Amino acid sequence: MDLSQNTVSPARGGATKCEEAAVSPAGGHGARAAECDALAGLYRFLGRCLEEEVDADFLALLTGPLRPALTEIGLVLDDSLVQSDAAAFLASTAEEFTALFVAPGAVSPYRSVFEKGRNFQEPCDEAIAAYRQAGLEFQNRYSGEFPDHVGVMLGFVGWLAEREAESLGVADEVAADAWRVRRETFLLEQLGPWAPGWCRRARILAQHAFYRQVLELTERVLWHDLQALADRRRFKELERLNRRAPVRLDYDADFRKASGL
Amino acid sequence: MITRNSLNLTRRGFMKLGGTAAAVAASLESRRLVAMEQSLGGKDFSAVTGAERQAVPYTCLACNIEDGGVAFVENGRIVKLEGNMDHPNTRGKLCAKGNAGYLHVYDPDRIMTPLQRTGKRGEGKWKRISYDEAATILAAKLRQVIDRSEREGDPAIRNEIVFKWGRNRTGGAVSRFMHALGSNTMVNHTNICESSKKVGLEPSWGPDIESCDWANTKYIINFGSNVLETAYFMNPNAQRLVDGVVANKAKLVSFDVRLSNTAGYSDEWYAPFPGTDGAIALAMAHVIMNEGLYDADFVRDWTNVTAEQLIAHLKPYTPEFAEEESGVPARDIRRIAREFATTKPATTFSYRGPCKHLWGAYQEAAIHMLNVITGNVETKGGYCLPRGMGWPQPEPNPPAGKVPSVLAKPPLYPLASHAVSTNVPYMIMKGEAKVSVWMSYYDNPVYAYPSSHLWKDFLTDESHVPFYVSFSPYMSETTELADLIIPDVTYLERHDPESMPSGLYPCLSIRQPVIKPLGGTQEFRQTLIDVIRKVDPDEALGVRKYFAFDTVEDWMRAHFDNIPGLKEAGGWNALKEKGVWPIYGKVDQETAKLVDRNGNEVEAEYGLHRKRLSASEIADAEIDVQGTIRKNGHAIGVSINGRGHVGFGTGSRKIEIYKEGWREYGFNPMPVYKRLASREKKPDELVLTTYKVNVHTQSRTSSLKVLAELYHKNPAWMNPGTAAARDITDGDLIRVTSPLGYIVTRAHVTEGIHPEVIAISTACGHDAYGRLAQLKHREADPEYALGGDPDVTHNVWWDDKGVHPNPIIRLAVDPIGGSQGWYDTVVSVTKAEPGDMYGDVRVSTEQAMKDYDETLRYAYTGDLHRAAHKEVDVDWDNLPKPALSVGH
Repeated sequence: MDLSQNTVSPARGGATKCEEAAVSPAGGHGARAAECDALAGLYRFLGRCLEEEVDADFLALLTGPLRPALTEIGLVLDDSLVQSDAAAFLASTAEEFTALFVAPGAVSPYRSVFEKGRNFQEPCDEAIAAYRQAGLEFQNRYSGEFPDHVGVMLGFVGWLAEREAESLGVADEVAADAWRVRRETFLLEQLGPWAPGWCRRARILAQHAFYRQVLELTERVLWHDLQALADRRRFKELERLNRRAPVRLDYDADFRKASGL
Repeated sequence: MITRNSLNLTRRGFMKLGGTAAAVAASLESRRLVAMEQSLGGKDFSAVTGAERQAVPYTCLACNIEDGGVAFVENGRIVKLEGNMDHPNTRGKLCAKGNAGYLHVYDPDRIMTPLQRTGKRGEGKWKRISYDEAATILAAKLRQVIDRSEREGDPAIRNEIVFKWGRNRTGGAVSRFMHALGSNTMVNHTNICESSKKVGLEPSWGPDIESCDWANTKYIINFGSNVLETAYFMNPNAQRLVDGVVANKAKLVSFDVRLSNTAGYSDEWYAPFPGTDGAIALAMAHVIMNEGLYDADFVRDWTNVTAEQLIAHLKPYTPEFAEEESGVPARDIRRIAREFATTKPATTFSYRGPCKHLWGAYQEAAIHMLNVITGNVETKGGYCLPRGMGWPQPEPNPPAGKVPSVLAKPPLYPLASHAVSTNVPYMIMKGEAKVSVWMSYYDNPVYAYPSSHLWKDFLTDESHVPFYVSFSPYMSETTELADLIIPDVTYLERHDPESMPSGLYPCLSIRQPVIKPLGGTQEFRQTLIDVIRKVDPDEALGVRKYFAFDTVEDWMRAHFDNIPGLKEAGGWNALKEKGVWPIYGKVDQETAKLVDRNGNEVEAEYGLHRKRLSASEIADAEIDVQGTIRKNGHAIGVSINGRGHVGFGTGSRKIEIYKEGWREYGFNPMPVYKRLASREKKPDELVLTTYKVNVHTQSRTSSLKVLAELYHKNPAWMNPGTAAARDITDGDLIRVTSPLGYIVTRAHVTEGIHPEVIAISTACGHDAYGRLAQLKHREADPEYALGGDPDVTHNVWWDDKGVHPNPIIRLAVDPIGGSQGWYDTVVSVTKAEPGDMYGDVRVSTEQAMKDYDETLRYAYTGDLHRAAHKEVDVDWDNLPKPALSVGH
């Protein structure tokens, strides 16, 4: 099941070893491999939700194979809306996606904007470097998309988990550990400092129930995994970083004359 | 001999040596280490790695001056902009706007993918689509109009395709596109800018602007221009003005209702009543002519009037008359006139102050005349013709549409060669023209036009504008109303040919992408290619061939690769490398003048009008009684003392102080002064004027944080006496009321303004244009709370975005030049009333429509025109009938 139309794709000449490994017979690390598979699926799902609009194929997954699991965790789609008028559901989620994540005034889903206030800054370079180390490169599907998009980054975590599972499948524990380190490092260093807080703000502004739920789910998943990865001090630091918001400085109207000249 | 043992290795000894060495430090410093800044630009280095950054030349478009720039790129990211030292007119300098321009590229509020409207118009609901999908939608809309035109056999239908721009520096791309579609309805913005200056100048001497030789002059009279901060060619003009005043000891006299930074820098500043500059200029001409201070040879040889005719015409315009109108003392007018005429060389410069009024063209013509009668035209240090260069359009080039456009060439304004864009929505709302597809480019009339609220009503109403596409990369007040947005890239990511006459050295320059268009965005030129290919997929319409460029760069090569001189220098590739051509020399590090390889100054060329016609040019030509040399029905020069000169770009090839073309429509053919309605205002009323500031354009820069921090609020300037009479003190909330309605803003009480004027700057009070322009991050926290940008988080210390005055400014069109009379609105000013809130705007669309009817009464067919021009010798009952101009 390929949940993602991820815009991170294997680079030419890269990642061949992983793909070859993927077709090898499963080895003996069944439980960990299954866990990694689940992790891969979860992050790919979250990435797919945030990376681009819901389309008919994804909606079919949401209302089909994924439905029981989603229902179990509380992500419930409005049956009447989805089943009676799927086109309207797709249109309304597309409109909401554009308003939330694309159009001016949106809650920009890019780490560069979150960290630096501008598009395409150093966090982009860091994301690209991580993708390249894993043998991937970023290709946008629409204009105005950058490598440090939260959805793409979540999808990348899923991809790394999948590689880990594959390595375990062929009993290559060294390789699996290498993939795990990459995943955990990426999660801690590139998503951890901002993505959960971003999810919280975006959720507050989301008007469509689907995105409110997805954003809440994403935030919870991230906090859960970050708590497992980070020591107490580091986790507190992440909590602080994710609380970042513009500070309203006290403004004394009498300090400067109206002219201000 | 000093031995090792003899060294006194104590701290005291070290310090003593150090102290001694410090005293002679200059002679001890390394001669191989120099400060980077001393290289005068052109290179830059990474602060982290020390590696030299990639330098890519470009032409600025932060505003319209088109300065030469160099972008420094590190890791594919623009990290710094600076002036291009090879540009002969801007000499390595950019203004604050230009330096901040790269922030446009990375602005998180930039539109980076096409958006299609999903909700009601203006509701802010969109879905993103691809550039290809967007081009398909637009092409289908355009094709519908073309097919209807073909079906009904009516080419005029194609004029329902409208292209409106505020800034079009595409070098002919828009015209090519529109002509390929068969439409002539291209509407510029020039009548909210300086069109009456242009129309005051063009019939006088050909081109639409002067190029003062500031650096070499000795005397400057500045009428209503803030040239050190804004105005046409601000950066190059300001540099040369400072050269003239500081290095050449020139005297600068300014007339401005407000103490601008230019006025403050002047030797003398006078604040005339708004719209009376023409009376002052005419009075100065009166003094110069009557006291025999004029250049008799120049008037005789190079104008179409005699000194006697001028003296007779100027008789009523005494300095005392001018004092009565303007408030400027007659003795000062007389003295300045004498100084101007007897100090050589001298020049005037003027900008919006005189021309942005009803009959503004008369005022510009009067100021221009001062340079003519003193013989300062085209002299070193004088008032020179602009110098530009052209480039060819790639062939085949589409012909103009078959039918003239009533919107692009309004018949009631036959002399307004730069159109009357302010009237366009009124004409459509009154059924005088129809729109099917409205396209806009670099245009924000919902913010930038007079009675701006009317534009919002107009563009919101789908019965007036059925389909609206914006090419803006920013969500302006106007683009918010679009049905489709196909965002262009910023000016640092695209191609354009350029040639601006911003100095005395003519040159070509280019824009080129200094980085790849960010995030896969697409430049406008490519969108035009794509749309035409979709409009004419099978070449059945025969227009696809006009856009047969494989790449945008091929289009640019077609402009530049075969220009004589440039071709030998390398054509387009040479321009890519240097950004500008020709390379006249280097900027001298001491004098900042252009010098050749021997260190000698590269002199500009003067006396362009005196250039001799060749024997072959004169062969078979005829000379009329005025001395005009004509060949094949065209004036090619003028004969003076038996010699053929190219002369000026007028019908007679002389400077036409007398304009027969004006008389035909009942306007005075000579420069005159007409008293404005504002001059008749009640004693307790004020005249509202606006102005630009040095760090902002009219509309586009408020989203740039470094500029927004420098200037973000615009309290209304009031004179202390004026304020006291209304019990207003600095910082008070005030209500400014015109017949259109009122705004609530704050007062800035200052001596630096005429007592009967209130002045409010532009560039503030946005309702759109990104989070900083609107201060949205404060109003709707956490809506715009994006996290950790330290600048936005900690340094946006201001809570005041200002109040925009345009909604209360009345439509008032100069019937000659077509300019909007920005400075003709009469207002009352009071303390704010109970319940008034800062930023309140209450205005009437109904009154705006009445203002349109009122301003038409001043057009050449109107009753107020006739009443104001009783002195004109014309058959008033048989004026030319309003007619559409042929072609475009």
